[in-house]
Amino acid sequence: MGIESLEQSDAGLVEAAQHGRLESFGALYERYHNPIVALAYAQLGDKHLAEDAAQEVFAIACRDLRSLRDRDKFAAWLGGICRNVCRQALRVKTRTVPLPREPADDAADGRSERQEQSDAIRRAVWRLPDGERELIVMRYFDGFSQAKISQVLDLTPAAVNGRLTRAKRRIAAWLKQDGFGSESWDA
Amino acid sequence: MGRVNDDQWLDKALDKAIHSNDTRPDFQKWVATHPQAVQSLTSRAPQATPRPLGTRRILMNGTFIKLAAAALIVVAAIVGITQLTRKPTPTNDAPPIIGPVAQETIAGPTTHAFADGSSVKLLEGASIRTSATPGKRGFEHLAGRIEVTVAKGKGEFIVTSPYGQVKALGTQFTMDLVDGVAENTSQPVRLLNVEVTEGAVEVRNAKGVQTLKPAQNAVVAMDAAPYDFDQDPDLPEALRQRIAAMIKAFETGDRAAWAANFNMDYIYRLGKGEVPYDPNLFGGSAEDAERIKQMIAQVKSLDEMKQLFLTTINISEPVQVYVRSVELSQDGQHARAECVQRRSASHLVTTTPQWHHFDNAWWQIDD
Repeated sequence: MGIESLEQSDAGLVEAAQHGRLESFGALYERYHNPIVALAYAQLGDKHLAEDAAQEVFAIACRDLRSLRDRDKFAAWLGGICRNVCRQALRVKTRTVPLPREPADDAADGRSERQEQSDAIRRAVWRLPDGERELIVMRYFDGFSQAKISQVLDLTPAAVNGRLTRAKRRIAAWLKQDGFGSESWDA
Repeated sequence: MGRVNDDQWLDKALDKAIHSNDTRPDFQKWVATHPQAVQSLTSRAPQATPRPLGTRRILMNGTFIKLAAAALIVVAAIVGITQLTRKPTPTNDAPPIIGPVAQETIAGPTTHAFADGSSVKLLEGASIRTSATPGKRGFEHLAGRIEVTVAKGKGEFIVTSPYGQVKALGTQFTMDLVDGVAENTSQPVRLLNVEVTEGAVEVRNAKGVQTLKPAQNAVVAMDAAPYDFDQDPDLPEALRQRIAAMIKAFETGDRAAWAANFNMDYIYRLGKGEVPYDPNLFGGSAEDAERIKQMIAQVKSLDEMKQLFLTTINISEPVQVYVRSVELSQDGQHARAECVQRRSASHLVTTTPQWHHFDNAWWQIDD
């Protein structure tokens, strides 16, 4: 029996935390910190802002945990708080999408081809609809499992798969339009 | 379009563009920077059963040279200074069950029997959550001190907790989940202590694994591997015995046993000016050593000093001591431990006792 399968459940940790057990909230923090940073990054497009937003998300969650009725839905609840926090942040700051820069300008700046490729990828990701962008960023930010993504985004595994596939198709098409096909990454 | 269906290249490219290596959760830092949020959560923690009115026990700092302090406490108790009394703390009611749960949550004090013949005794303030998964033996340990008895020959039995899991095959063990604030440092104290009564258990978390046999115990913290000083290969056997003797003295409330860990002969000679003050051999300061000289100026013998010493030691009831770590000096002659004294569910004190090897033995020099 693997350790993962025996990990204390979210509901159990939430219940203990609702009784004031800080170590249980700590376990939830350790479990969901990175997914929440990834989700915030998908919204804000800036890793430092995403880190700050995640800190705020857990502060709100800590303060309001008692209001959570369905303890099994803690991850989705946290994801909802994250979207609200990011929405607030975007109200006061124009969304800082990393890009878009024209390839020609990059070349003139002497930027490396790899950097251009990465920029093109990020530009494509941030053109995606919110729901698809969240999925792509969470999937590739830290290699989160499909189960964890499903929990935080409150989607079924099938929906996660379907959206991922659609999102990747779109990205591939946009990359091709920008002159970056599969051969660009084969080297 | 390129190789839309064969998208390994796209996976690689997305990974390269989005992957982050530098995002690491640091809960301690978060706690330090969000005191209000933490306060709002922990203020709901169940309080311990109130201690009866009485003189607050004070642990001696230094070796035994806090005679003056002890004497002050005795006088204070006699004249009934009320500031030294502890008012009963009202016990918080457990919050109501907020939403439907699939599994059963059980709060102590009670004993819960499982279908396989295993049982768990929950002390006051303890709680567990039973598993709803068929075929799996075990439960989640949510809070407090529990005593588990596992029915033999029915497969592995696993108890999970925020700090790690305990796996047992037919055994008896105790788990104590500590979450509070140290009275003396105001710092949070969070750990799990696992002690085996019979059989063997494996204590495991992300940092490491420790196997325990009867009479062995391990302390498990969030950010460290399970630690059992008695199985620490870096520590000399004689030192381990000395540490164990200190713990046992506290657990049995035996002040004479506790005092026996100090080199009384050396302290007597120090007090009589026969040996110079040496901070490695005497845990107190030079001023403390001078105070000892004054205090035992009228004492005629070592035995008389020992008797005097015993009257000043403020150990009167059993105290649980958990050793989180022991650090040995590079020359192997000095050791310092990080300990937590659990006097009740919410009454915690952190201590850093020290030992030094001299006069052919390991002696405790500071408490």
